[in-house]
Amino acid sequence: MPRLKKRFSLIPFPPFKSIQLSIFFTFSCLILVTVMVISLNSYRSSVDAVETNSQSYVQEIIRQVNSNIQSYIDNMENISVLAMTNKDVKYYISNNSFISKSDRMPYEKRISDLFQAILYSRKDISAIMVFGYNGFNVSDRRITLLNPYTKLEDQSWYKEAKSKGGQSVISPPHVQNIIQNEYRWVVSLSRELKSTDGIRGEGIFLVDLNLSIINDICSKINMGKKGYVFIVDNNGNIVYHPQQQLIYSNLRSEPIAKVTAAQSGTSFNVNDDKGKRIYSVQDTNFGWKIVGVAYSEDLIANEGTIRNSILLFAIIGILFSLILSLILSYRISRPLRILQRDMKKVERGNFDVRTNIEPINEIGQLGRSFNLMTAQIKNLMEEIIDNQESKRKSELMLLQSQINPHFLYNTLDSIIWMGEQKKHEEVVLMTSALAKLFRASITKDKELVPIRVEVEHITNYLLIQKMRYDEQLEYEIDISPDILHYKTLKILLQPFVENAIYHGVRNKPEPGKITIRGREQDQVIIFEVEDDGMGMTPEQLEGIWTTHDKQHRTKSTSGIGIGNVNERVKLFFGSMYGIQIQSEPEEGTIVTITIPKIKE
Amino acid sequence: MRIQRATLLMTIIFIASVVYIILYFKLFIPTPEQERNIILILKEHNIRSDFWQTVSAGAEAAAKEAGAEITITGPLQETDVDAQIKLLEEVLEQKPQAIVLAPINDDRVTAEMKKIHDAKIPLVIIDTPVSLKSAPALVSNDHITAGMQAGKVTLEQTKNNPKVVIISDFITSGVSLEREKGVKKALFPYPNSIYGTYYNADSEERAYMIAKTIMRDHSDLNTIIALNESAALGAAKAIKDANKTGLVKLIGFDTSVYEIRLLEEGTLNATVVQQPFNIGYLGVQTVLELMEGKKVKPVTYTNSIVVTKENMYSQENQKLLFPFIDK
Repeated sequence: MPRLKKRFSLIPFPPFKSIQLSIFFTFSCLILVTVMVISLNSYRSSVDAVETNSQSYVQEIIRQVNSNIQSYIDNMENISVLAMTNKDVKYYISNNSFISKSDRMPYEKRISDLFQAILYSRKDISAIMVFGYNGFNVSDRRITLLNPYTKLEDQSWYKEAKSKGGQSVISPPHVQNIIQNEYRWVVSLSRELKSTDGIRGEGIFLVDLNLSIINDICSKINMGKKGYVFIVDNNGNIVYHPQQQLIYSNLRSEPIAKVTAAQSGTSFNVNDDKGKRIYSVQDTNFGWKIVGVAYSEDLIANEGTIRNSILLFAIIGILFSLILSLILSYRISRPLRILQRDMKKVERGNFDVRTNIEPINEIGQLGRSFNLMTAQIKNLMEEIIDNQESKRKSELMLLQSQINPHFLYNTLDSIIWMGEQKKHEEVVLMTSALAKLFRASITKDKELVPIRVEVEHITNYLLIQKMRYDEQLEYEIDISPDILHYKTLKILLQPFVENAIYHGVRNKPEPGKITIRGREQDQVIIFEVEDDGMGMTPEQLEGIWTTHDKQHRTKSTSGIGIGNVNERVKLFFGSMYGIQIQSEPEEGTIVTITIPKIKE
Repeated sequence: MRIQRATLLMTIIFIASVVYIILYFKLFIPTPEQERNIILILKEHNIRSDFWQTVSAGAEAAAKEAGAEITITGPLQETDVDAQIKLLEEVLEQKPQAIVLAPINDDRVTAEMKKIHDAKIPLVIIDTPVSLKSAPALVSNDHITAGMQAGKVTLEQTKNNPKVVIISDFITSGVSLEREKGVKKALFPYPNSIYGTYYNADSEERAYMIAKTIMRDHSDLNTIIALNESAALGAAKAIKDANKTGLVKLIGFDTSVYEIRLLEEGTLNATVVQQPFNIGYLGVQTVLELMEGKKVKPVTYTNSIVVTKENMYSQENQKLLFPFIDK
């Protein structure tokens, strides 16, 4: 048992005084935890889902941007291949010194026409040019005026192409200043043109793509309000950024290291003071990395809404469940409370309580058992009371039926004395009265006797006493003949008459009189035993009852106390019946006995 | 009893759904986040003005980054004071959430700004400082530093032996005054290095005349610092006509196609350029901060860059000299 207790105390369960509170608390805890876990989980998973969706959305967009840009670059590549394989171009830039300038003129025109035709068909190309190492150059324009202040050899696209030996080179966006009075933002593709044998380089081919094409592609994508695209090259230099100037002046930065480390087609998240955003990286096959940046708050515009709605659902769920658990705990514990209340009543001694518990569950069964138990207790109690009463009754009857030995002795003594005096008649009278008295007390058959019998009995008794005390005692029996057929307790009056003689009349110097009356009054019969003897002070009167109690307790056989008679009357007829005593010192005593009318 | 229980349950469900519906409509009819609207009034709103177009681009970039809407207006001409006042009055009537203003230097514009201030509309001034009590936050190029940068370039180009004439536009021009101040500050350690400041009243012709005269008057003159474009163009012409390209260095401010050409050919040895994109960007960013109730710096300066023939085609400087504007 102690072990069990210890184990229970490990569970942090507050010691609630009521089952309702315990159930409510337990339910609430369970509900709170469950709802919270579920809400949190669903919030996380929905946000995750949205995030994954938006990531793949951004990736898809960047893939499209990538393929768009790629197609433009591929187109430039194709043009360069066209120029490379063009015989006119080859001839024009060959450093064969036998070909004079005028010989080259028709080629120049043809090449220029070709380039022009290409340029017309492609709005994205701003210039196509060939610079021969032999000093000749040709462009898509009829007359090509090169910027006199620009050195061809210093241009990075020229240098790069020359060093790459035939491979095409893509420049970062730059201002093309090779043509006089033209400053265009372009992306250049350049490559070295080889001689027919493919060993010697003979010139540089250049094709410029309008930067606005790339700018359009990058700025027209829809990745939320704030999303944008930027491009870095292999070395991590930003080649295109919508806010390039801010980057140059360090007002803005991009996580270049992460971008260059990222694989093509992957994305990563950045969360800093600019906000949470997704970086999606795509590699092009010419060395650029196209990076899309989308702000989570733009794409996941409803992240807050998701959170709020889940929060609201959770709160409503919790409230609803709390109310429900309150009701449930109330309903579950209510029968127990009813049972408890009824038990309290039983505790206070009310065995008539019947508890009424509705549900037919364990508690209902408990209630029924309780009812059975109280009923049984009540029966047992009644039985005990009955037993006690009958025991007492029989005990009292025994007492009553005993003839006081002193009285017997005195009476016999009187008989002997009268016999010696030869008063035969008196002897016969007294002996027969004694015999009748005796018979009355030994008849065990019935408790109740007709009043007629009782009157006969008391008359016999008084006859004996009269003979003993002669002049000293006078008596009168005045019983209404109407009541003679009603029943009364056997030997009811004798103790009072005895008392009246021994304590009232006998101690009086002059003769005393005892009057016995009997009459009916309403529904009861009233007996009065009156004497004009010594009477009693109130203290003595009080003493009668108490000495009786003592006598009763000590089971003294010295006589039948008034209290005993009173008790007997009450036991038989109920508590509203009984004995009243009125007494005045030197005046006398009246004992009033009230019994019910019981017909024969 | 069973009926009672069902009724109870129904009541609870009913109350719960009523509460839910009420809350749903209160909370989830998406109350769109207060759309932030900014009005940018330029000195000149004209697609031919690269400077102001770049300012606009910067402003738009900042607005986009913050998810705010921006409306850009301005007079067609930088000199059209009346048009800007009219615009300001119109804008004020609309009670916009915030204004970014590049004010034309005029008292009536200042009075309008006072009205905006009194209407408790967040206001940020860009480009041109104004004299106003409790002046609004300013985002501008640091012209004094720019002047000092010009002075330093002069020292480099003349190998620390500067003999300089400054050509400014008007004696009242605040920007020119600050540039001049910067130049003088940089050249302060070299006594008698500045022959004087002349004013060309924004006329190329007058600048040409001034340059021609001073080259004649001061044979040892080795640098002309032109505080504005017209001065630079006029002076360049005079230097070329006098065949003194390279002998007399020309240091200019700002940029234009003409200046770029002069830079390429070497007549213009250096130009100090502002970063208009940053001015626009920081202007809008500052006004956004004001709208959020943040404290902002009273003055935010942007840097200038010295561009020479050698570095004019570098990645950074290309962007400044040839603003890429999507037209």
